[in-house]
Parts: sequence; structure tokens; C-alpha cells
Amino acid sequence: MTVTEGLGLLVLVGLTAYAVLGGADFGAGLWDLSRQRRQRELVVRSMAPVWEANHVWLIFVAIALFSGFPEAFAALSRSLTGPLSIALLGIVLRGAAFAFRQYGAPYGGRPVRGTGLWARIFAVSSLVTPFAFGAAAGGITTGRVRADGSAGFLAPFLAPLPLVSGLLAVAACGFLAAVYLTADADREGDEELVNRLRVRALVTGVIAGGLALAALPLLPAWFARQLSLPAMAISVVCGALALELVRRGHYQLARVAAAGAPAALLGGWALAMQPWVLPGEVPLRVASEGTASLILGILICGLMIVLPSYWYMIRVLRAPRTTAEARATDRNTVAGR
Amino acid sequence: MLDDLTAAREQMALSLGFHIVFAVLGVGMPWLMLWAEWRGLRTGDVRWTALARRWSKAVAVLFAVGAVSGTVLSVEFGLLWPHFMERFGSAFGVSFTLESFAFFLEAIFLALYLYGWDRLSPRKHLLCGIPIGLSGVASALFVTTANAWMNGPVGLVRGPDGELISTEPLGPFLTPTTGTQLTHMLLAAFMCTGLAVAAVYATAMLRDPAKRDGYHRRGLAAGATLGLSLAVPQALVGDWATRVVADEQPAKFAAMEGVEVTQDGAAFSFGPFEIPKLLSLMLRFDPDARITGLDAIPAADRPPAGITHLAFQVMVGIGVALIALAAYAAWRYRRDRRRGGHPTDDRRFLLALAAAGPAPFVALIAGWIVTEVGRQPWIVFQVMRTADALTSQTGLAIYLYVTIAVYLALSVALVAILRRIAQGPRPTDPAPVEMERSAA
Ligand code: HDD
Ligand code: HEM
Ligand code: HEM
Repeated sequence: MTVTEGLGLLVLVGLTAYAVLGGADFGAGLWDLSRQRRQRELVVRSMAPVWEANHVWLIFVAIALFSGFPEAFAALSRSLTGPLSIALLGIVLRGAAFAFRQYGAPYGGRPVRGTGLWARIFAVSSLVTPFAFGAAAGGITTGRVRADGSAGFLAPFLAPLPLVSGLLAVAACGFLAAVYLTADADREGDEELVNRLRVRALVTGVIAGGLALAALPLLPAWFARQLSLPAMAISVVCGALALELVRRGHYQLARVAAAGAPAALLGGWALAMQPWVLPGEVPLRVASEGTASLILGILICGLMIVLPSYWYMIRVLRAPRTTAEARATDRNTVAGR
Repeated sequence: MLDDLTAAREQMALSLGFHIVFAVLGVGMPWLMLWAEWRGLRTGDVRWTALARRWSKAVAVLFAVGAVSGTVLSVEFGLLWPHFMERFGSAFGVSFTLESFAFFLEAIFLALYLYGWDRLSPRKHLLCGIPIGLSGVASALFVTTANAWMNGPVGLVRGPDGELISTEPLGPFLTPTTGTQLTHMLLAAFMCTGLAVAAVYATAMLRDPAKRDGYHRRGLAAGATLGLSLAVPQALVGDWATRVVADEQPAKFAAMEGVEVTQDGAAFSFGPFEIPKLLSLMLRFDPDARITGLDAIPAADRPPAGITHLAFQVMVGIGVALIALAAYAAWRYRRDRRRGGHPTDDRRFLLALAAAGPAPFVALIAGWIVTEVGRQPWIVFQVMRTADALTSQTGLAIYLYVTIAVYLALSVALVAILRRIAQGPRPTDPAPVEMERSAA
């Protein structure tokens, strides 16, 4: 494997991790629009400890790109200015709004003024961001964006494929979130919530699958020719398996399968794009072999520390709280609308 | 409408200036929390534990805003200065790659700390604080090495005709200003954190005399000790930084000190005052030493002198004032302990500490203005001009206005929530006998 391939693979790993971990946090925004208080509280409990760590994957991708592939980073920044700016705005509002809403009433009682508005901003910005990212990926695929940004701020993304892939990203995030939340509700033993959420998981799963199919005829011919069949097959099988597992009530396993569907889709997309970052214009190319291999080495060592730490965090925070009183304060920290 | 270059620079200044406020608290607060939690564990004094818990709630909100505003920066580098990133992204790639792992570890262990109070044993919980503190420090240091490199790019690999081919990956760790910038930045972060915390408790005690209890005194003492004990070292490092700048970036130095023409035996000016020959004496230990003025720099390479000079004076003024405050506070604590009183019974003492809270933040921003504006017109000193790095996108003023609006809204909400967090129930002081013992 060359340095370029190795580093490219790590960028893809980061992107996939962001999609399936960060994506579920964005999707949770969809389920936060619910009028049911218990459901909104579950969203907070599930997301609060993990969203920041999940969010770092985006930073990981940006940094790995500009360190290893500065040319590609600059070209993407120029050509995707529109959707990236929108996503950025969404990211800022989503993160801040989530924290404000979580701590709006830190000791119970009436929340700080404006908390209700932040709660709504949280939900809406959670949907805008994946849409913008999806549209950006779709825009790249159409081949209509230009490396110098001359194709326009938003024009290249107002086409069928970018719009469908934006919706697909939102649906996929909503699906992942619904599956993860169902599993969490199941662990907490809340039967009613499990039933509500699993219906939502099934519906969004079917919608996401439908949108993925709808995107197929919109793909440019050269891209469709390069599409890797095995990757597509894995995605379809994972999606179907996840739906079946949710239907049968095996929620923990469904989590894994559900993550597999978008992950394989992304992998297939990246394989088909190869070796291009912007089709026909900018290939994936390291600026200097020496720096790139050093970066690659640091990334691998770093992940060997980070991944076990992440796993330890999940294990500890999944364990039940030691006191009933603590469990009660958990619920009080949620300030609703 | 602002022109695009100005808008982009203001945008960069605003987003960095906003982020750094949270970043410094992210560097310092974990250590304060650790200190309070450790004291609580060791002495069994619930007031320390309550402080640690209260602070951890505030840190959770501050960290979220810090994380999202930091993300803005990493994407904004590309959106505003794509040409700069294209040429030099890999030059400070190692710094930022290491930094990304610091972020991961900070986010992971912070989650364990915040949500692990009732899930981990007290000892394990305390231990989780250490990686948070270390990675906060590491991320500040790594990002500062990247900036140091922009101020003194080393490791440039040039071709036969002098054209730039590539950059050595370890450059940022070897630049002339790395040493001063890292130490100065780290001390600044701790000073900001400490004095901000002290000011919160001083303000509370001023508003409500019933709050002059052990809980608030402990909060105030921990913050003031951290913040004020570093005032003298910070000035010494600042002095060191001045010497390095004078050697490496004479244009920046001339702008900082307001030296218009090259002269022997330059005067030192501060505000309206001017002392003959002092600048030469301080810099070179020779009252007649030659100081390079702005006239020696080609007009196209001169930084904006007015703002650099003003910012430098503000920073140094605050630095000196904080040394005075440190001396006063140390003297008050000692004197009042001898007399059996407590300095927090004195309104003037509280007022001084409340006023000192924002001061290091102002110095911090001023210091960055010195560094960044003083480097102009270069984005990478003597290698690439800021104007050449700008994106070809137009209408950048819109970004600036949106950023101002969003950051304003975030600030308003943040302040409201932090105030609410501060209003929670607090542990009462134990009976008087016991209190004396635990105060000793
Ligand atoms: C608490 C904040 C604080 C305080 C009290 C001071 N500084 Fe400072 N200063 C900073 C916070 C800061 C900083 C963290 O904002 C900077 C910006 C870049 C850096 O490395 O540190 C800085 C930069 C900076 C620079 C420019 C370095 C460069 O461009 O490479 C100089 C020459 C000084 N400082 C000198 C001083 C002196 C003589 C002080 C006297 C008391 C002083 N500073 C107090
Ligand atoms: C957090 C504290 C910082 C503050 C308050 C700050 C402040 C500023 C200011 C005022 C400018 C505009 C200068 C001008 O155009 O006259 C600027 C520009 C810039 N700064 Fe900083 N800076 C900080 C840290 C950093 C760091 C750590 C980096 C890099 C790793 C950095 C990179 C840049 C870049 C790329 C620009 C734009 C180009 C330029 O105008 O030179 N800054 N900053
Ligand atoms: C000298 C100036 C800076 C310092 C001291 C600093 C330090 C920090 C610290 C300590 C954090 C941890 C989170 C927190 O508590 O807020 C943080 C977050 C962050 N910083 Fe900065 N930073 C600086 C400038 C920058 C710049 C120029 C960038 C742009 C690349 C940047 C990118 C980030 C990002 C992406 C995060 C979020 C990481 C997370 O989710 O934890 N920072 N920064």
C-alpha cells in the first residue's frame, strides 16, 4: 500500500466514523422534534456523554486532509464553500444549542429564558447539517463543481442528485438515531418508548433505502460504471438485516447492522471516486511523501490510544448509576419546551 | 460594505478571539477541578467537592462552545485562506494532527469525568481528570507551535532558483518563537482561568454578604492563587518574548514600541510618558544601543503600527497591574490571618478581585493582536502575504455579519446559563470549632 492509499484510507475511516457516530447524533435531532417528553429526555441522556467525542471525527478528517492532502483540502474548500458554510453554521448552532438545552435548568425548576428556542434550534440545525454534507457529496459526484470555486456558491448543488443525496443523509441519520435510541430505551426497560421508536426506525429505514435506490439512476455514467457491486451489496444486506433485527427486537445487534449500511455506502462511493477528489480535476495526491508518512504514523499511533479510551468510556457510561438519587437528577437536568 | 480582505481578517480575528476565551478555560479549569476534588477527597471537606461538581457543570457548557468554535476555525482556514492551506497545510500538519488526538482524549475523558461522578470510584474519577488537564495543555501548545511557525517559518525546502518546494514536517517545533510563545500562552491560560474563577466568587460575595462563607472563600482562594502566583513569571516570559521579537521580527518590535525612526538611545514610551534611553537600556542593557525603527522597513512590509503599539501597551499595563494586585493580595492574606480576620470581609479587596477577572482576558487578546497584526502584511512571515492567501470567493462581509450575530447570541445564552449554574444549593459551613480546624 502506498502512503497516499494508507492516508486516504484513514480519511475514509474518519469519515465513516463521523457518519455513523456523529450522524446518529444529528439524527437524534429529528426525534427531538417529538412532543413526548420522555423521548426528548432519552435523546439528551443518550447523546450528552458521547456527542463531543463523536464530533472530533470531523476535525480528524479536516486535519488529516489538510496535513496530508493540502491540494485536495483547498480544492474542496473552494468548490464546496456553500454547503460547507451552511454545515458549519449548523454545527455551531447544534452543539451550543444542545448544551444550552441540557443545562437550561441545572437544578430543575423553570429553565432559563430562551431554552425552548434553543431546543428548537437544536432540532432544526441537526437536520440542516447532514443535508448540507449529503448535498456536498452529491455535488462532487455530479462533476459539476470546479476546483477554483467558479461553478458557484450553491448552483452546483441545486440539482437532482445533490438534493436526493442530501435527503438520503438526513434519512440515514434519522434511521441510525432511531435504532440506537431504541436500543437505549430497551436497556432502560422503557417498553412504551421502545415501541414508539422501533416504528420510527422501521419507517426511516425504508425511506433511506428508497432514497438510495432513487439516487442510482441519477448517477453520472462514468461513476455508475466504477460502482463497486460488493460494497453496494453489503450496504443493502446490512440495511435489510437491520430492519429485520429491529422488527424481531434484537436491538443491540440491529445497531451494528444499521451502522454497516451507510458505512458500506460511503466505502463504495469512495472506491468509485478513486483516484479523484474532484472528478477529472483534482486527484488524491500527497504534498510530500515524507510528511505524509509521518502523519500516517502519528494517526495510527494516536488511534491506538484513542480507540481503547473510547471503548472504556462507552463501557463505563453504559453501566447503571450507583444511586437512585443520581438517576433521578439525570431526569431533572432535561429542560424541555 | 467591507472589502473582502478586511472582512476575512476581521472574521479570522473574531473567530479566534471568541474561541480562545473558551480554549483557555479548557486548559485551566480541569486543573482547578482536580485540585478541588483532590482536596475534598483528602480532607473530607464537602465544600471542596461541591466546588468541583459545580465547576464541572460549567465546564460542560463552556467545553461545548469551545469545541464548536474550534471546529469553525479548522474549516475556516480552508474557506478563507485556501491558498495558504494548499501551500502550507502540511507544514504544520504534525502540530494539528497531534492536536486532533488531544481533542479526542479531552472529549472522552471529560465525558467520563462529567457523567462518571456516580459511576466510577472516587479515585478513578479523580484519575480521569488528569488526561483532561494534560490534553487541554497539549492542544494549546500544539496550536501555538503552528502559529509560531507562521511567525518564523523554518524548514523551508527551496529549489535551485529559490522557489519553495516543500516544508520540513517538524518546522513548527523549531522556530525561534516557539519557546516564548508556548510558555507565555500556557501561563496566560492559567492566569485567565484563575482570575475568572476568583472574580466570580468575589462578585457573589459583594452582592450578598451572606455568601462570605467557607464555600465561596475556598473558590476565591483557589482561583486567586492560581491566577496571581503566575503574574511575575508571566512578565519575565513577556520580557524574554520581547527580546526574541526584537531579534527575529524587527518590524513587529518597532510597531510594538512605536519606534518610528532608527535611533541610538531610544526612549521608552508608555501612554503619555516618555523616558529617554530606557528602551535601549532595557533591550540591550546599553543606554545608547541602536534600535531599528519602522523607517528601516520597506513601506510595503510595515505592519499597522498604531494598533500594535496600543495592544502592546494594554497587555504590559495589565501585566504590571496584576503583579501589583498579587503583591497586595499576598500581603492582605498574611496580615489578616495574623489578626484573625479574612480579606474577603473587606469590600475593597473583593472589588479589586472582581475587577481583575476580565483583565487577563483583555491582555490575552491584546497579546494576540500584537503577535498577529504585528506580523502583517505577511501570513507566513516573509514567505507569503496575507493578500495572496485570500480565497477568490466574494461577499465575505456576509460571513462576518453572520458570525457576529451567532456569537453574540451564543454569548448571551451562555452567560444566562452560567449564572443559573452558579445559583445552585451550596453546602453550609460546619460548626465554628470545626471550621477553624479545616481553615488551618
Ligand atoms: C494573561 C495574559 C498576558 C499577560 C499578563 C501578558 N501577556 Fe504577552 N501575550 C499574551 C498574553 C499575556 C498572549 C498569550 O496573548 C500572547 C500572544 C501570542 C503569545 O504567544 O502570547 C502574548 C504575546 C506577547 C508578545 C509577542 C510575542 C510574539 O509575537 O512572538 C510579547 C512581546 C509579549 N507578549 C510581552 C509581554 C510583556 C512584556 C508582558 C508584561 C507584563 C506581557 N506580555 C503580559
Ligand atoms: C487565539 C488567539 C488568536 C487571536 C486572538 C488571533 C488574532 C488574529 C488577528 C487579529 C488577525 C488579523 C490580523 C490582521 O489581518 O491584521 C489574525 C489573523 C490570522 N491568524 Fe491569528 N490569532 C490567534 C491565534 C492564531 C493561531 C493559533 C493561528 C494558527 C495556528 C492563527 C492563524 C491566523 C491566520 C491564518 C490569520 C489570517 C491571516 C492574517 O491576517 O495574517 N492565529 N489572527
Ligand atoms: C492559541 C490559540 C488556541 C488555543 C490555546 C486552543 C486550545 C484549545 C483547547 C484547549 C480546546 C479544547 C476544547 C475546549 O475546552 O474548548 C480547543 C478546542 C478546539 N480548538 Fe482550539 N485552540 C486555539 C486555536 C485554535 C485554532 C487556530 C484552531 C484551528 C485549527 C483550533 C481548533 C480547535 C478545535 C477544532 C477544537 C474542538 C475540539 C473538541 O471538540 O474538543 N483552535 N482548542
